[in-house]
Amino acid sequence: MSDLDKWVAQLRACRPIPEADVRELCHKARELLIEEGNVVTVNAPVTICGDIHGQFHDLMELFRVGGDVPDTNYLFMGDFVDRGFYSLESFLLLLCLKVRYPDRMTLIRGNHESRQITTVYGFYDECLRKYGSANVWRYCCDVFDYLALGAIVLGASNTLSPASESSAAQEYADMNLEVEVCNADGVSTFQFPRQSRSLTSSSDPQPRGSPNGSSSTAGHSSPATGNKTGPPGSGASGSSGGSVGNPAGAVLCVHGGLSPLIQTVDAIRLLDRKQEVPHEGAMCDLLWSDPDDIDGWGLSPRGAGFLFGADIVKEFNYKNDLSLIARAHQLVMEGFKEMFDASIVTVWSAPNYCYRCGNVAALLELSEDESGLGVFARSNGDVSRSDGGQEKGRPNGFDTLEGPARRYRVFQAAPQDSRGMPAKKPVADYFL
Amino acid sequence: MAAPSIPNLLSLRGSRGIRGHGRGRGGHHGPGRGAASHDSTIQGTDTDAAVSRLSAVELGYLEDPFAQYFVSPDAQITRRLPIINRGTFVRTSALDRLVDQFLRQHVFGESALAGGQIQENVHNAQIISLGAGTDTRAFRLFTSKGRKWNQGRDVPPYELWRNSIVYHEIDFPRIVEKKLATVRQTSSLKEALPDPNLEQADGSWKSCGRPPNGSEFWCHGLDLRDLSRETDLPRLDGLRTDIPTLLISECCLCYLETSEASNVIKFFKDRIPQLGIVLYEPVKPDDPFGKQMVSNLAARGIRMPTLEVYKEPKDQEDRLRAAGWEVCCAYTVEKAWEEFILQDDQQRVDSLEGLDEVEEWKLLAGHYVIAWAHPSWDMGMRWDDNDMKYY
Repeated sequence: MSDLDKWVAQLRACRPIPEADVRELCHKARELLIEEGNVVTVNAPVTICGDIHGQFHDLMELFRVGGDVPDTNYLFMGDFVDRGFYSLESFLLLLCLKVRYPDRMTLIRGNHESRQITTVYGFYDECLRKYGSANVWRYCCDVFDYLALGAIVLGASNTLSPASESSAAQEYADMNLEVEVCNADGVSTFQFPRQSRSLTSSSDPQPRGSPNGSSSTAGHSSPATGNKTGPPGSGASGSSGGSVGNPAGAVLCVHGGLSPLIQTVDAIRLLDRKQEVPHEGAMCDLLWSDPDDIDGWGLSPRGAGFLFGADIVKEFNYKNDLSLIARAHQLVMEGFKEMFDASIVTVWSAPNYCYRCGNVAALLELSEDESGLGVFARSNGDVSRSDGGQEKGRPNGFDTLEGPARRYRVFQAAPQDSRGMPAKKPVADYFL
Repeated sequence: MAAPSIPNLLSLRGSRGIRGHGRGRGGHHGPGRGAASHDSTIQGTDTDAAVSRLSAVELGYLEDPFAQYFVSPDAQITRRLPIINRGTFVRTSALDRLVDQFLRQHVFGESALAGGQIQENVHNAQIISLGAGTDTRAFRLFTSKGRKWNQGRDVPPYELWRNSIVYHEIDFPRIVEKKLATVRQTSSLKEALPDPNLEQADGSWKSCGRPPNGSEFWCHGLDLRDLSRETDLPRLDGLRTDIPTLLISECCLCYLETSEASNVIKFFKDRIPQLGIVLYEPVKPDDPFGKQMVSNLAARGIRMPTLEVYKEPKDQEDRLRAAGWEVCCAYTVEKAWEEFILQDDQQRVDSLEGLDEVEEWKLLAGHYVIAWAHPSWDMGMRWDDNDMKYY
């Protein structure tokens, strides 16, 4: 058994590995990450995950629901550490898997992968507590500096493959689903078929179904959301081109969102990322910004990054031949939330966040386009392929590319008794 | 985003040891636990509040020179997460502001001058703080030198108070005894409440010297539930029934059975015609966050019976209406942050610590409510700057 496999096994049991091993692991990881660009290219199929925040047992639940590594190709959009009790084990396990299966595991940086934030929100203290010194924290922070800032998913299909092996593939293809929501056991709780573009009114600037309806099993569009046709929490627009089998546009994955300083995916590639997350500027914005129901850009209540509206997202997607932006960073009670006609989605993967919020978590599966056209057929944001938006920029009426078919698997917090700690224990703070 | 010092979050996790192999505070909390045990758990929430207060003070959210004396020096760590500090700030500031407004009206305001004559050292208003525990409001009030401790608004220095007040605190005998001991040991506390003297075997004490502005301070050691009895009611020395009074329950009545809580309010309402009230309690137990809150608190042995009855902010208004007040108002802490806290203060607080917990803040702060009512307060309780001219 190699060191790596030994570490994986030990970390899977939620036991930290010795300091010297952490050092070696971080060194290996850095060598690997240094070769990655700021924007990693990932081919579908891929399972996209949001914030983890040291909730190790819930990460195990995520692997149970989404499939194990390397069987499933994972993309984690940052915020591995802070807040939960097991930031160390969670991050090191993901890092181990990254080193062991580099092609099946993509890690991009979240705003908590930062020296400054981890001193306030728990990871620093956890390392100190578990090792008696800050060395391990330092090793990890050095790795943080090398994490990619984003990823581009290519070759995602606009049809779904079956959620579980019991369903026939043809049956699925016939249903032509745009969005499917499954529970933790893989049982489909909601299906939304793709509709032809002509059936819906032209692009509705309102975010659809926000926040994610009262439950993900609430059935078809409620009267309150007007002509929204997608399932609760999704922005399934029905505004697809409709021809089955065509590859969908590329998907940009980033922890926070867009930046007023970034007009193209290529511009992200030009940043110097190997540093602590700055307080401002493009790199900071990518990790800190949030979509919001505003026009244009707005100040963020977080004190870093910006708020950006539907117009910003649609223009960016149009200029960069993106069909979707997947991001994390914001707690959503239903685990995922599509906004702005499904041009952007928030994926949140920390159930019962901070052991206090009572939310469910989700992961997003994009399946592979069987036609094999996905990777090459389009100018899809891959390196040097976007034209910087110089020629195509139109003030109005950005045609949205048809989005990839999306399957959300929604899951709950791991049962208390799997956590290896007393079930009844004061954990979360309240105002008393 | 400043992190002035490296915090140690260990204290936030109770007595839990490394990697979760620790002991929960107070051992196993089962449904069959005795009432006495529940009482002591509830008393423990006061320690929680005191630590939160000190955390907010040390990080610059609040100005309160007295907070430090009520946190045991053994408590190694006092720093809370930004979201908790902000909550402590909003809750304290909002209550301070309501108290200020009440005092402005009855002590330094126009109605205090209603008789046409300014009478020195007449007690024109009364405050009764239920389950006050280690609360420092009385100290702050009695020593106010017009410093900006409240929302950037000055409170008149006590020399300018036209009249003084009667201040009562009520809590378990054990708690008030402890407070007495702390005051006796600490010179700056004694300055605010001179000559603290034990009055009764139940731990009740009063400040026998005159607090700086001539106010009166009483601290009663009793179980609030005794006030809900039909007969054999405890006596509350020094209680005035003839002056405008503000009853404050800052996360206190919520631990009583609903009927007991109602009876406690009734006890004062029946005796004091000009009674106002300020409640601070959790709400919304039924949404996912609320359910988790109830279950997490239950794991700590904390039960809040009134939460099951007054579920929404509006229910708290209805509760006050049913208790006999006509004009009532209820704001969630989230709304209080938006509407009570001045923009300057919002910006100041934003700059103290980064709040990377915006959604969580909305959730948490949306689950606490400040409700208030008074027979002679203005309709709607607008915080408009015009009623700030008390000099």
